[in-house]
Amino acid sequence: MCGILAVLGCGAEAPQQANKRRARVLELSRRLKHRGPDWSGLRQVDDDCYLSHQRLAIIDPASGDQPLYNEDQSVVVAVNGEIYNHKLLRDRLSAAGHSFRTGSDCEVIAHLYEEHGEGFVDMLDGVFSFVLVDTRHGSSSFMAARDAIGVTPLYIGWGIDGTVWISSEMKALHDECEHFDIFPPGHLYSSTSGFTFRQWYNPPWYDETIPSTPYNPAALREAFEKAVTKRLMTDVPFGVLLSGGLDSSLVAAVAARHMSATTTKNAGGNDHGWGTKLHSFCVGLVGSPDLKAAREVADYLGTHHHEFHFTVQDGIDAIEDVIYHTETYDVTTIRASTPMFLMSRKIKSLGVKMVISGEGSDEIFGGYLYFHKAPDKDEFHRETCRKIKALHQYDCLRANKATSAWGLEARVPFLDKEFINVAMDIDPEWKMVRPDLGRIEKWVLRKAFEVEGHPFLPKHILYRQKEQFSDGVGYSWIDGLKAHAASNVTDKMLSNAKFIFPHNTPTTKEAYYYRMIFERLFPEKPAILTVPGGPSVACSTAKAIEWDAQWSANPDPSGRAALGVHLSAYQSESESGEQHVLPDTMAAGAKKPRTIKVTTTTPPGVAIEG
Amino acid sequence: MCGILAVLGVADVSLAKRSRIIELSRRLRHRGPDWSGLHCHQDCYLAHQRLAIVDPTSGDQPLYNEDKTVVVTVNGEIYNHEQLKAKLTTHKFQTGSDCEVIAHLYEEYGEEFVDMLDGMFAFVLLDTRDKSFIAARDAIGICPLYMGWGLDGSVWFSSEMKALSDDCERFITFPPGHLYSSKTGGLRRWYNPPWFSESIPSTPYNALLLREMFEKSVTKRLMADVPFGVLLSGGLDSSLVASVASRHLEETKVARQWGNKLHTFCIGLKGSPDLKAAREVADYLGTVHHEFNFTVQEGIDALEEVIYHIETYDVTTIRASTPMFLMSRKIKSLGVKMVLSGEGSDEIFGGYLYFHKAPNKKEFHEETCRKIKSLHLYDCLRANKATSAWGVEARVPFLDKSFINVAMDIDPEWKMIRRDLGRIEKWVIRNAFDDEKRPYLPKHILYRQKEQFSDGVGYSWIDGLKDHASQHVSDSMMMNASFVYPENTPTTKEGYYYRMIFEKFFPKPAARSTVPGGPSVACSTAKAVEWDAAWSKNLDPSGRAALGVHDAAYEDTPGEAPAAIDPVADNGLHQAIGESLVKPVAPATAV
Repeated sequence: MCGILAVLGCGAEAPQQANKRRARVLELSRRLKHRGPDWSGLRQVDDDCYLSHQRLAIIDPASGDQPLYNEDQSVVVAVNGEIYNHKLLRDRLSAAGHSFRTGSDCEVIAHLYEEHGEGFVDMLDGVFSFVLVDTRHGSSSFMAARDAIGVTPLYIGWGIDGTVWISSEMKALHDECEHFDIFPPGHLYSSTSGFTFRQWYNPPWYDETIPSTPYNPAALREAFEKAVTKRLMTDVPFGVLLSGGLDSSLVAAVAARHMSATTTKNAGGNDHGWGTKLHSFCVGLVGSPDLKAAREVADYLGTHHHEFHFTVQDGIDAIEDVIYHTETYDVTTIRASTPMFLMSRKIKSLGVKMVISGEGSDEIFGGYLYFHKAPDKDEFHRETCRKIKALHQYDCLRANKATSAWGLEARVPFLDKEFINVAMDIDPEWKMVRPDLGRIEKWVLRKAFEVEGHPFLPKHILYRQKEQFSDGVGYSWIDGLKAHAASNVTDKMLSNAKFIFPHNTPTTKEAYYYRMIFERLFPEKPAILTVPGGPSVACSTAKAIEWDAQWSANPDPSGRAALGVHLSAYQSESESGEQHVLPDTMAAGAKKPRTIKVTTTTPPGVAIEG
Repeated sequence: MCGILAVLGVADVSLAKRSRIIELSRRLRHRGPDWSGLHCHQDCYLAHQRLAIVDPTSGDQPLYNEDKTVVVTVNGEIYNHEQLKAKLTTHKFQTGSDCEVIAHLYEEYGEEFVDMLDGMFAFVLLDTRDKSFIAARDAIGICPLYMGWGLDGSVWFSSEMKALSDDCERFITFPPGHLYSSKTGGLRRWYNPPWFSESIPSTPYNALLLREMFEKSVTKRLMADVPFGVLLSGGLDSSLVASVASRHLEETKVARQWGNKLHTFCIGLKGSPDLKAAREVADYLGTVHHEFNFTVQEGIDALEEVIYHIETYDVTTIRASTPMFLMSRKIKSLGVKMVLSGEGSDEIFGGYLYFHKAPNKKEFHEETCRKIKSLHLYDCLRANKATSAWGVEARVPFLDKSFINVAMDIDPEWKMIRRDLGRIEKWVIRNAFDDEKRPYLPKHILYRQKEQFSDGVGYSWIDGLKDHASQHVSDSMMMNASFVYPENTPTTKEGYYYRMIFEKFFPKPAARSTVPGGPSVACSTAKAVEWDAAWSKNLDPSGRAALGVHDAAYEDTPGEAPAAIDPVADNGLHQAIGESLVKPVAPATAV
C-alpha cells in the first residue's frame, strides 16, 4: 500500500501563500509515511493542486516513484493500489500508441484516462484509490476514485476555502477540513461532473435480487485460484497470514501450490534467501487456538511458518496506536486489529512487504455463525449483500490499516471482482446452513476445495468450524481488554455516556475507553460519523437482528454469543467447566453495527445493556 | 540502532503515566521499527524501540540478568560480546543479543565494567535490588543520548531529545565517555585514553600497524545477521572502508546468508562529483553499487523533517544530513538495515583543509583532539540520526577505540601537510594503504584530495538552499536576529531559516543549548581560527573556503567568483560559490 494526499482547487495562490501551502501539504503527507516508507513525492500543479504520495515499492522498486504521468506530463496521478491486469492494459495502450515511463502497474491509469476519459475505472482489475489531475485544457480538472469494495481506504474532505481534500487516511485531512467523510467504495468523484459522486461499480449482485444459478464447485474453485494467483504479482518477498481457519488456510494452500510458478518470474531482484517456499505467519497469546491450528496447516502445506507471541500487556500498550492507525472506535475491529497490528510489525521486520489474507469470505458465504438463523434464502442472500457493502468499514479497514501501519500491504483474494461475481451468482439455497444435509456454514466453499488425489487441505481442516478472530488469538485477550478498560472507566462515566457521546453511545466500559482515545485523536464531529454503529449480534447487520426475537434483547458484538451454533463451543465449555462463551454474552454489547449504506450510519436504537 | 527512553523515580505511577511513556517512546520508533518493549518497576520505566541486527528472533529488549533483578535498555552494538560472554562463564544468557552482556557484566563487576565494552552504546541499567541505576554513553558519542530532569524529581534518559523535551524542566546532551550513577548522583568520565590529555605523542609512524588496526576495526563491524552495505562517496575515507570491507566480506557469517558481494550506496544531484567518484571506486572494487539521485526540491521538501530528526540548527550539519537522510530511506527500502560509513577520519588525521595552516605539530595535534571530542555534536550526530530516521544503522570504523589509540599516538609531525615531502592531508592513512602488490585502491583515488560532503552531492545544492531560505527570511528579520536569537545568533538567512524550524520543534532554551555555536572557518574549532589572521574576519562554515589549498579547486572552478571574498583570494579560483559569508559553527565541547 501507499499513502496519497491531494489538495485540489487552491486557486493559484500568491507565491508566499503557495510556499506555505506546500510546506503544510508536506507536513500532512508525512502523517501517511507509515503506509509508504520507501519514498515520497509531491507534485504541485500551477499552485492550484497538490498531489502527494508516500510510496511502498512492491512493483518496480527502482523506477516507480510517484506521482505518475502520461507522456507529456499533462495528466498527473497519485495512486495507492495494485492493478493486477496492468500488463494486459499496458499492451493494449502500447498498441494504441502510448509510451510508458516506468514499470509501475499504476501508470496505466494516466494513459487509460487519456484514452477513455473518466469511464475507464471499471477496466481496472485490482484495488486502488487514486486522484488524477488533468491540465490538458488550460485550467486543471480532477477526478478521484476508489476500488469496488473499498479494500484501499479513502477519505474526502472540503475546506471552507473551497478546496477539496482526498486522503488515504483521515489523519492527514481531519484538522484541515470543514467537513469530511468516507469516500464511498465503487464510486468516483470529479470536478467535471459538478463535484458529485457517481457509482462506477454496478455488478449484478448489487441490487440484491436473488440469483438462481446452480452451484458449480469447479467454477468457484477456479475463480478463487485465479484470484489468488493474480495476487502473487510482486517484486519483493511476501507471505500469507495464516490463522488456521478455513479462509486463510485456503489462501495458503492455493498460494503454496502456485508458488514455484511465480518465483521464477520474480528473478529480476536479488534472491533474499526467500526461495520457492511460501512463508506463513500467525500471531497469538502463548498456547492460543490459532497458533495450534495454523501450525497444523503449515505442516501440512510445508510452508516456512513464523509464529509470533504477544502478551495481553503488549496488546494493551498498543491500543492507542491501533486506534490512531485504524481510525475507528468499533469494538470488534479494535480487538481484532491489535494482534494483526503487532504481527505486521514483526512481519515487516523480517523484510516482508506484502501478505495475502483471508478477509471477505465470511461476508460472501455467510460464514458468521448467526447465519444459522437466517429464515430463508432471500434473507440469507440479502444479508450477505449488506455485509459485503459494509466491508470497507470493518474487515477491509482493519486488514488494510493494521498492516499499513508498518508499511506492509495486505491483499485479499476473496474480494476479487470476478470471484465475487461468481460467488454471488450462486443460488443462495446452496449457501444456507443445513444440518439435515450435512452442510455447515461456508459449505459451498469447502466443498469446492474437496478434491481427491491432491487435496488442498486435510478434510478435518476443510470442515473445521469458525473460530472468531479475537478468540482465536487466545481467550484471555478479550478478558484482559475488558479488565483494562474497567480500570480506566468508572461506573459514573458510563452512566453519563449518552450525554457525552450522543452519537453511537458506548454501552460498555471497553467501548467507552476506545471512544475516549478516538475522540482525543480525532475530535471533530465528522470523524465520529465515519465509524458505523447500531445494534448487532455476533457481527450481524441491524436488519438481521430481526431473525431471532431473543437477539434484540441481548446483542453481542463478538462471535461468542453465537447462540448454540458452534459445536466445539459446547464441548470446550463443558470440558473446562468454564465459560468463555457466557461472560461475553452477559457483558454484551459493545456495538457492532454493520451499516448498509455507504456513507450513512445506522442510529443506535436498541437499548443495549451496559 | 535502537531507541531508548528511561524515566526513573516518577511521582505519579498511574496508568496514565504508563501510556504517556509509551507515547513518548513512540517518538523514537523510527530508530527501532522492529519491535518495542517497556519494563516497569515501581516508579521506574525502561522503554525500548528495537532495530534487530543481531539475533532478530530472540533479542527483544529490555534485557535482564538471570533472575531479572537487573534490567537494561540498550541502544548499541557490542563487538566483543562473544569474548565477554566467554569470560562470564558462570552466567546464563537468555538471548543471542550482543547487548545482554551488559546486565551480566554489571552483576559481576559493578559500575566499573563500561570500559570493557568494545563498541558503541548508550544504555540505562536499573538494579532493582537496591533501586539504583546507571546510564552510560560510548567513548566518542556515536550513539546519541540526552539526559533530563522532571519537576517531580524524575531523571530521564533518551536516545533523542524529542522524547524528553516536552516533559523535562531541563535537559542536556549526555557527555560521551561518561557514566551517570544514581548512587553517587553525578556524571564521571569512564573513558580515559592517553590522547585525552592532549599531550603530544612521540611514537614514530608505523604504516603497517595503522593499516592492521583499521582492518580490524572494519572487520569487527561486519558482525550482523541482516543485509548491510557501505556508504561510498568516492572520497578517501569511504573508499577505504569499502575496500577493506569487500576484502573481508567472505569471512563473515552474513555473507553466507546474503551473498558475498558488497553493496555500496551513493547519493547526489544528477551528474555530481560524488556519483562519478563513487562509481569509479565501486567499479574497481566490484561492488553491487546503488546510485540515488535527488533534486534540490526534494532536499528542500525534506528540511523540516531533517531538522526534526537530527535535532540541530547547525548549518553544515543540516546541509550534509539532508542527502544522507534521503539516501537512508532508499537504502532501507532495499531491505538493508546497516551501513558502514567513513566519519571520523578527518578529525583524527586533520583532514580538513584548514589544517594546512596549522602553525606547528603541537597546534595540529591539539586541534585533532578538540575535533574528536566534539564529534558527537557534528558528524556522529549526523551519521547516526540521519540514518536512524529510517531505521538504518550507521557504523563508523574510524571511531574504533583501539584504532583511535593507535592513530592518536603517532607523532603529529607525520600528520602535518608537507608539500616539500609530497605529503597532502591524511597522508599517514593514505600511505598505510598504499600496497603495491595488492592495492586497496588505485593510486589516484588513494591520493585524491578532499571534496567536502555538501559540495560533493552537487554544487547547486547549497545554492538552492540559500535561495530557498531567502524566500522565507526577509532582511528585516535578519536585522533583528540578535534580539530574537541572542544565543548562537544566526548570521545568514540560511542559518535563520533552520533556526526557525528548530525552535518550532524544540522551543525550550535547554534545546537551543544542546547545539554548538561560535566562530569557525571551514569546520575548524574556534581556537584554530587564530591560525590565520585573515580568517577571523571571514568565517565560513563549509569546506569551500578552504583557502587555496585544494589543488582541484584551481583547475575546475570557472569564473563564478566567490562574490564574497576569500582571504587568500585568487579571485574566484576556488569553489567559493558565494559561500564565504559567515556562519558560525564550531565545537563547544561537551558538558
